[in-house]
Amino acid sequence: MDSDFGAVHDELRGVARMMLANHSPLTTAGRSFKPLDWQLLASSGWLGLEVPAAQGGAGAGFAELAVLLTEFGRVAAAAPYLGSVVLGTAALSLLEANTGRDHRLQELAAGTRRVAVALPTDRPEVGQPTAPFRIRRAGSVLEVSGRAGFVPDVVGADEILLLAADDHRPVLVAVAPSAPGLQIDAQPVVDETRHLAAVIADGVEIDPDSLWSFTGSPEAGAARLAERAMLAVACDSLGLATMMMEATVAYVTDRYQFGRPIGSYQAVKHACADMLVGISICSELVGTAVEALSSDEPGSWVPVSMAKAHVSSVAVEIAGKAIQLHGGVGYTWERGLHAYLKRAALNRSLFGSPIAHRRRLAARYAGEGNS
Amino acid sequence: MAVPDRDLAEFRSTVGDWCRANVPKDWRRAQAGAPEEQFVAFQKAWFQELRQVGWAVPHWPAEWGGGMSVAEQIVLYQELAANDAPRLVLAFVAIHHAASTLLVAGTDEQRRCHLPAILDGELWVQGFSEPDAGSDLASLRTTGRREGDVFVVNGQKLWSSGAAHADWCLLLVRTDPGAPKREGISYFLMDMRTPGIDVRPIRNANGESHFCEMFLDDVVIPVSGLVGPEHGGWRVAQETLSAERGMTMLELSERLGRAGFTWLLEACRVRGPSGDRLLDDPVVADRLAAFEIEVAGLRSLCRRVVERHEAGASAPAEASIAKLLYSELLQRVMDFATEVVGLEAHTQLTKPLSSGWESGAWMLDYIGSYEWTIPGGTSEIQRTIIGERGLGLPREPAAR
Ligand SMILES: Cc1cc2nc3c(=O)[nH]c(=O)nc-3n(C[C@H](O)[C@H](O)[C@H](O)COP(=O)(O)OP(=O)(O)OC[C@H]3O[C@@H](n4cnc5c(N)ncnc54)[C@H](O)[C@@H]3O)c2cc1C
Repeated sequence: MDSDFGAVHDELRGVARMMLANHSPLTTAGRSFKPLDWQLLASSGWLGLEVPAAQGGAGAGFAELAVLLTEFGRVAAAAPYLGSVVLGTAALSLLEANTGRDHRLQELAAGTRRVAVALPTDRPEVGQPTAPFRIRRAGSVLEVSGRAGFVPDVVGADEILLLAADDHRPVLVAVAPSAPGLQIDAQPVVDETRHLAAVIADGVEIDPDSLWSFTGSPEAGAARLAERAMLAVACDSLGLATMMMEATVAYVTDRYQFGRPIGSYQAVKHACADMLVGISICSELVGTAVEALSSDEPGSWVPVSMAKAHVSSVAVEIAGKAIQLHGGVGYTWERGLHAYLKRAALNRSLFGSPIAHRRRLAARYAGEGNS
Repeated sequence: MAVPDRDLAEFRSTVGDWCRANVPKDWRRAQAGAPEEQFVAFQKAWFQELRQVGWAVPHWPAEWGGGMSVAEQIVLYQELAANDAPRLVLAFVAIHHAASTLLVAGTDEQRRCHLPAILDGELWVQGFSEPDAGSDLASLRTTGRREGDVFVVNGQKLWSSGAAHADWCLLLVRTDPGAPKREGISYFLMDMRTPGIDVRPIRNANGESHFCEMFLDDVVIPVSGLVGPEHGGWRVAQETLSAERGMTMLELSERLGRAGFTWLLEACRVRGPSGDRLLDDPVVADRLAAFEIEVAGLRSLCRRVVERHEAGASAPAEASIAKLLYSELLQRVMDFATEVVGLEAHTQLTKPLSSGWESGAWMLDYIGSYEWTIPGGTSEIQRTIIGERGLGLPREPAAR
């Protein structure tokens, strides 16, 4: 990455860190998981980061988005960013131009519209995402049916984009949350910073104008969306793990037992050192994957799966160790570390488990598969 | 005392039959997220049921209502776990820590006063840790000033589990501020109804409020509340801590084997929408087998630790080895369960308080496992003990 980009990223990171500083469960005393102010995100230009300038966006790419996602992870941000921005905006951008699309992008960037995208999230399916929904054509009538569990940020979305198979070809179908036959079941999870729901469509009638094809290969489009979801979660895990390391280092420097800072004991010091070693490799993996995804490299799924598998696991270890090294304080609600461990563990399972991602990577070794 | 195998088999079926008839059906659902008072009432009632058949305190000496051989205790704990009986979580400190303190170091008078009362439902809390005295417990600062036949106690205790419901407290207090750290501490039995005690619950990582802060403001404790010699409390605490550790591990390792691990197997046998089972993945199967091996070793070790303890032949640091193994194995099993069960593991938002550390709500259980790696000497401190007392390695500067 050249230095101009580097400088832009540093600035974005600096601004984000400043703006989000007071939103971490570590500073809100673990009490509130209030969503970030959506209009504030809009006015910061964060909702339209990847939206073309013509539609009121910043015309940036996934690399810039990744910087923000990592910052959101640091504060375990409760915001429908994953659903509406990472997936929603991207889904629209991957579609063939159509009348509604540019208008929607504009509204998304302005923060006046929110969308969610129903991809497979619950079964550890990786690789070619199997569309959770199906299109049925009966004469001129189009219907969509199917089910997706654990879809991020559905509740409160103005529109839901369903990844559906139209005679085996993946397409996106836009439905209103109020559409007859569509059921949205909020699915609360232990992690209170994320909002998931099951989306169930039972013969929901759709307008042909709401059935959209991906530009180019439909399979590649659908795969790209899934990869964004995986990598977004990896960025989040990297950010939260980094925050856990920093919080722990600060704590063990200040906390004294036996007349010395506990960080002076090798058991503690080495555990902190392992955090840094883990994060060092994680940030390399994320960096490589972000580059591959933002430059549209073929085979980008490989670095993406590597990042998702590894970073989402290491983040759980680091958040767990952070609690351990804080002693009793780490186990309190008030201190807020629990929010990080819960989010890290949820991230590990969202969009393919580490085992599933490693299985997919290992399938390349036999000299077959889609390496 | 060796019990013939035939009798053990008979005992096993007696316990099993009793459990099937007496374990309240559906208690898990009724107790998940139940209000605090309901939990306390449920625990007390269950304790009395077990007491009536003589199984509430099997590890106590016969004269006080126990007297079960180690082999029988293991069978009892196995059957209670296999039949998913509620655990005695509320009376835990009373039947283990308080009882072993009284048995090892108490006076006859104290034993007569409290052991039967514990059977009648008296609850205890351990008031050892303080804000600045956790791993370095001996640096505790709560003070006790002797005034004739009483001590006047002032200070703050932290993380006292169950203080909100306790009748009595095991309390460590600095009674000789001039003496070296470990030589100025006294061990007391404190009546929780004494004026000057302010208990404030603290919310834990799972959102429950089991541990508490205790503020002690001119609390008067009679000299008769001393356990062991005045200023000799540190030794008492050390002895009772290791006595209790082995006993609790015996039950907990059986729970981990018979309940926790078994339920994980069940979860892995469930067929998903496409007919596949987690178990069919060789990676999962391999990890499960590795856990089974470790659990088997742990169960065997816990039995050995208790038997050697009863024979007065404990090896140095073996109680620490058992505690370290149990707590970290529990943590790894729950972490793995959370990982392989996947998103579903995050949808259970409450767990029944009476279930202990393996409730099948895997994400909550994983977080709950830190209730074993942090208290009672953290894993890091256990390793130091194992290295120094178990292996005789040179001491770490300033530690222990
Ligand atoms: C759920 C729960 C229930 C509890 N219940 C009770 C109770 O009923 N009664 C009671 O008295 N207490 C209770 N405690 C307190 C518990 O015993 C202490 O939390 C524990 O001893 C650790 O002390 P601390 O929290 O002050 O952590 P610290 O001692 O500050 O330790 C913080 C970290 O530093 C490490 N560390 C500290 N010193 C060293 C060293 N020398 N070498 C290497 N590593 C070191 C520790 O391992 C830990 O990882 C409970 C705690 C919890 C979490």
